[in-house]
Amino acid sequence: MMLEVDGLSVRYGRLTALRGISLKVDEGQIVCIIGPNGAGKSTTLAAIAGGVGIQSGTVRWRNQVISGSVPEAISRLGLTLVPEGRRVFSTLSVEENLLVGTYQRGDRAASSKDLQRALELFSGLRERIRQPAGRLSGGEQQMLVICRALLTNARLLMIDEPSLGLAPMVIDQVYEVLLDLRRRNGLTLLINEQSSERVLEFADHVYVLRNGEIQLSDAAANLQDGKAIMSAYFGFDARASNQDLAVGATHGRVHPELR
Amino acid sequence: MTGRLRQWIDAIWLPAFLCAGLAICVGIGQLVESDSISVMLTEMLIRLGVVVGIYIFIGNSGIMSFGQIGFMCIGAYATAWATLDPNWKQIMLQGLPYFLKDATYPFPVPMLMGATLAAAVALVFGFPVMRLSGIAASIATFAFLVVINSVYSNWDSVTAGTSSIVGIPTFINPWGGLAFACVSIVVACVFQRSQIGLMLRASRDDEIAARASAAAVERVRLTAFVTSAFLIGAGGSLYAQFLGILTADTFFMGLTFITLAMLVIGGIGSLTGAVVGTVAVTLIIEILRGLEGGVVVAGARLALPAGVAGNRSRCGHGAYSDIPRPGARWWRGGPSSVSLARA
Amino acid sequence: MVAFIQNCVDALSLGSLYALAALGIGLLFGMLRLINFAHGDFITIGAFGLIVPSRNDMAIMAIGSLPVVLLVPAACAIVVIAALLSDRLVFRPLRTASAPTLMVASFSVGYIIQNTILVTYGARPKTIDLWSSLGEQLHFGAVRVPRLEVVTIGVTLVLLAALTAFLKRTRYGVQIRAAAEDFLMARYLGVRANLAIGVAFALSGILAAVVSLLFVSETGTLTNVMGVPLMLYAFIATVVGGMGSLVGAVVGGYTVGFLAVMLQAYLPDGLRSFRDAFVFATIVFVLLLRPAGIIPTKALVQRV
Repeated sequence: MMLEVDGLSVRYGRLTALRGISLKVDEGQIVCIIGPNGAGKSTTLAAIAGGVGIQSGTVRWRNQVISGSVPEAISRLGLTLVPEGRRVFSTLSVEENLLVGTYQRGDRAASSKDLQRALELFSGLRERIRQPAGRLSGGEQQMLVICRALLTNARLLMIDEPSLGLAPMVIDQVYEVLLDLRRRNGLTLLINEQSSERVLEFADHVYVLRNGEIQLSDAAANLQDGKAIMSAYFGFDARASNQDLAVGATHGRVHPELR
Repeated sequence: MTGRLRQWIDAIWLPAFLCAGLAICVGIGQLVESDSISVMLTEMLIRLGVVVGIYIFIGNSGIMSFGQIGFMCIGAYATAWATLDPNWKQIMLQGLPYFLKDATYPFPVPMLMGATLAAAVALVFGFPVMRLSGIAASIATFAFLVVINSVYSNWDSVTAGTSSIVGIPTFINPWGGLAFACVSIVVACVFQRSQIGLMLRASRDDEIAARASAAAVERVRLTAFVTSAFLIGAGGSLYAQFLGILTADTFFMGLTFITLAMLVIGGIGSLTGAVVGTVAVTLIIEILRGLEGGVVVAGARLALPAGVAGNRSRCGHGAYSDIPRPGARWWRGGPSSVSLARA
Repeated sequence: MVAFIQNCVDALSLGSLYALAALGIGLLFGMLRLINFAHGDFITIGAFGLIVPSRNDMAIMAIGSLPVVLLVPAACAIVVIAALLSDRLVFRPLRTASAPTLMVASFSVGYIIQNTILVTYGARPKTIDLWSSLGEQLHFGAVRVPRLEVVTIGVTLVLLAALTAFLKRTRYGVQIRAAAEDFLMARYLGVRANLAIGVAFALSGILAAVVSLLFVSETGTLTNVMGVPLMLYAFIATVVGGMGSLVGAVVGGYTVGFLAVMLQAYLPDGLRSFRDAFVFATIVFVLLLRPAGIIPTKALVQRV
């Protein structure tokens, strides 16, 4: 077990974002957290990465307690977060963005070799290597930030909503790259997603988060019909028929012609 | 009916509570019958009224304004013009218009003149400036403070420049100060609960959303700015009639910093905070004054307020020789560390 | 014409001082969103660090009598230590505090420095002779320019070039620029927060030290509040030029310098004593036209 989260609670002022959630990620797995907006997905990853304060609970990385550590220390342990919103350093060039990831490693030679290999893998970046990162398209920026995070020599990459704001074709490319990385480098992934389809397609294990609590935790193989996920995601009984769903949606007042 | 009564009580209890609290302080202070306590109370209450005036703008708009004390200066000098002995004015302040130079006016006319002049200046300055936000707005207000100080320090024919104006009739006592502080508090409460106050606070929390909700942001800011200036101008007027002596540097960095500190320490977004902050800082200052002899005062919040004396003796008027220097002159009136020195 | 050129050189020289001071402030603002009101007092420390602590009116040089090659690094070291100390003791514990708290904190640091110097060195201004030979005038045809001004401009250009090279070419520079744009993201990538901040404070300290040496050489006077007007003008320069942008800080510095000198030179007699009023009124106009500064920083412009 690489990453273990136990009873994590996070508050923003008077608002409780996470109410004692627990999850774990084994080496080589792809684990996804899905849930509606405001469920606490981003908070979860941010708390694990040390960017947000933890009220109670522990986070363990390879049996070492990391809850309460600062983000830079956690990243140096091999656990790197790609936050949502593709936060590139827009005034820095693509190359400089990538370099920022490498500075925490002591070994300049190996870093520079990794940089070259990364550029081969992400060929779109190599063309724009000297341009300010702010000029890249959304998809290119997403590739950039993933590549940048990889260069920190991460063993577990946490990615917050990689598909946000991207065209479907681009999202496909991103996920292709991620799968490739898992295959080739044994990279472990913990990903936040909104779309359950993609998740079911390629995750090993799925957590559904709603209102700051884990509603469902199961292997993706068992969830393929989607019903369990739907009910955990929306919070109602997924065995309901379509008619019942319509009734529920209109608070019981259905137009006579629809009945 | 009870609904309306409750509404009424809801609106009234805060200012009533604050004013009553202050009245009690004054009552106790007056019982003690000590001149220095009276003086301290009067000064604190005038300052409190000014800080509440500052709060009306800063607390509601969210714009950190460094220039409000400039209005105090305007109000103070206007009062001096209206109350000094005409003989003195005819010699020393020859640039004054005849209706000021040759006459004096009874209370409360000078105060109203001072407050109105301050409000008018606020209207003129605020009209273009209120569309700035954030740091740009703060710098603009700071620039205002410097401009006022520069004008009042150099317009010799009207303000006696850097010499002091002396001989303003003084008669303000703690009860006068209390009245002013209470009026300020009431105005602040009324403003806060009004539609304008609400729109202004909306713009403070999220300017874009407020604009999208049709809040006329510049207009409500300007209203707060002018109201604030009116009260602060009145406070300046009372201050002049409390001190009896005036220089432009009294109303510069030192006083700006002290009043802002009072507001920030008490809590920038609340009226109670403004009141509490003023009282707290005044107490701290008084305690430290007591310890003054030979003890180094370290830390900004503990610095003594710039008195009338200022630091003129040290920095001169900024001798502008052929090589212009970053004029040292206009930091006068800042840290009154001169009084601590035993050089 | 001759007078105009002389005024231009004056303006460039004063602008250079302001540009360096503004850079010191801009560096820290860019990274920490901290407005360091104590920056002027770091400059004062640089100046007082040159002399032997005493209450005399005539300053006795301590490190101030060292040759340039030793003097400059020594002065820089003193200010850098002061800057790092203020970060460690005051600003680091307040890392997550709100903007008004940070402002009051930096004001406090400034007041502490001013009062400590006051108590140690006395209240009376001291005369000091630092490189007074630089007051000599150089002649370029009919134009006469004090050597110090040429030195100031030259030193500023060199420092700007060095700073640019540092920020663009070295790993620390890149990390600082990254941290300045998105501090948390840089930390997520392993950039050590305290190290980046420390380097920023150190750079700010070096800039303050250089300004103090040039300023002291020109004015020949030391007072405990000498740094304050510089800080204020520098701060305004940062805002006018564009907060968060280092280029903006430099542009702002030269703008304010030009304003101050040109107004001083060309205002009619009766109005000349109101120079400060005119300088600041112009600043208000500039802000009304470009609220985000002459060179706005994209990261700071509010996006809907």
